[in-house]
Amino acid sequence: MTDDTSKLDRAIGLLREPVSIDPSLDRRIMDEIESLPSPGGWKKRVWAVYDWLMRGRPVRVSPLGGLAVAASVAAIVVLGRTEPSSLDGTAPLTTALQGSAVQFVIVAPTATEVSLVGDFNDWNPTATPMQLVAENRVWSVTIPLNAGRYRYAFLVDGNTWLSDPTAPPVGDDEFGRPGSVVTIGET
Amino acid sequence: MRKSTIWQILALGIVAGLCGTIVPASAQEPRLQDRVPEAVRSEIDAVLDSARAQGIPAEPLVDRALEGASKGASGDLILRAVRRLANELLAARDALGSESTDPEIVAGASALRAGAEPEDLQSLRSLRADQPLTIAAAVLADLVAVGVPADTAAAAVIALAVGADDVEYIAFRRNVERDITLGASPVAALGVRLNAAAEALDYAAPRSASTTRRPRKP
Repeated sequence: MTDDTSKLDRAIGLLREPVSIDPSLDRRIMDEIESLPSPGGWKKRVWAVYDWLMRGRPVRVSPLGGLAVAASVAAIVVLGRTEPSSLDGTAPLTTALQGSAVQFVIVAPTATEVSLVGDFNDWNPTATPMQLVAENRVWSVTIPLNAGRYRYAFLVDGNTWLSDPTAPPVGDDEFGRPGSVVTIGET
Repeated sequence: MRKSTIWQILALGIVAGLCGTIVPASAQEPRLQDRVPEAVRSEIDAVLDSARAQGIPAEPLVDRALEGASKGASGDLILRAVRRLANELLAARDALGSESTDPEIVAGASALRAGAEPEDLQSLRSLRADQPLTIAAAVLADLVAVGVPADTAAAAVIALAVGADDVEYIAFRRNVERDITLGASPVAALGVRLNAAAEALDYAAPRSASTTRRPRKP
């Protein structure tokens, strides 16, 4: 019993001795903590980004700049369009110049035949038939053209005349049918 | 019948025959046969002959007749269209000069029909003496076709005549058309694009021309 008491007194004496702590301990502990992955930290970062995105800011845009942005958006919409826009489901898509070879394209999903007629083929409906190029919708033909200004139109199923809305229209419609114009410059 | 009368008739016949060989009737354009109504074909051939004699291109006239035929127009309407175009081609050739190419004359005729004045074509020719005018004149007509007033379109095309090449003319026209499609008024679209084009051309000018350059906004 006496022996046990003396051991206990020694232990108490040891515990009562002042302990010297390394002054850098706090810093090291905090560094360790900060290096650990914090549960929910990525969520905070996501919310911070979301908050940054949703926060309103005044933006200064010149009229010309705004017009350019609007034109770019419209160009993407128009050039990226793959569906016909007219009520009858038939609408020309685009016309692209490739040197002296000019591609004419039309979207005519219900057509059984489409031909390109114009100054370059004596307005002959059978001279330049267009070919289906994609999923029974897009008709296309590419023809070589010399320098000049040509009037043309699309003839659908031999009886429906269509102009090309992506090309300048014929200013005057002398014969009561729509038409377009393509001009090839001289090199 | 008296002998002298018979000789007179024979002489007249010989003279008529000789005239027929020296001055042939209007050459018939083979592409118009079976397509253009018979009643006006000879008159159209006469217009074609007249065009060739005056040194203006006849091919656009044939094309116009065939267009009318293909679209089911009446003979009278086709003849009127061909005559009208012939007059415009002649006016365009006179304005642009006798050295003009056929594409230039055709484009010039389009510009005149759109409402440009012959003086506008003359200005273009003098400002772009060493460049083809086909695209410039065509752009003028195209701008009018999308709603730009003729005098405004002509002024814009002439304003770009010194610095713009054909590619820039085409880009200018496309930009104006795009803005109109987006809802801008034709005049406003033209004004904005003209300023932008003029500024771009101004900045692209050689350094020697910088003395006349406007101060750039910061």
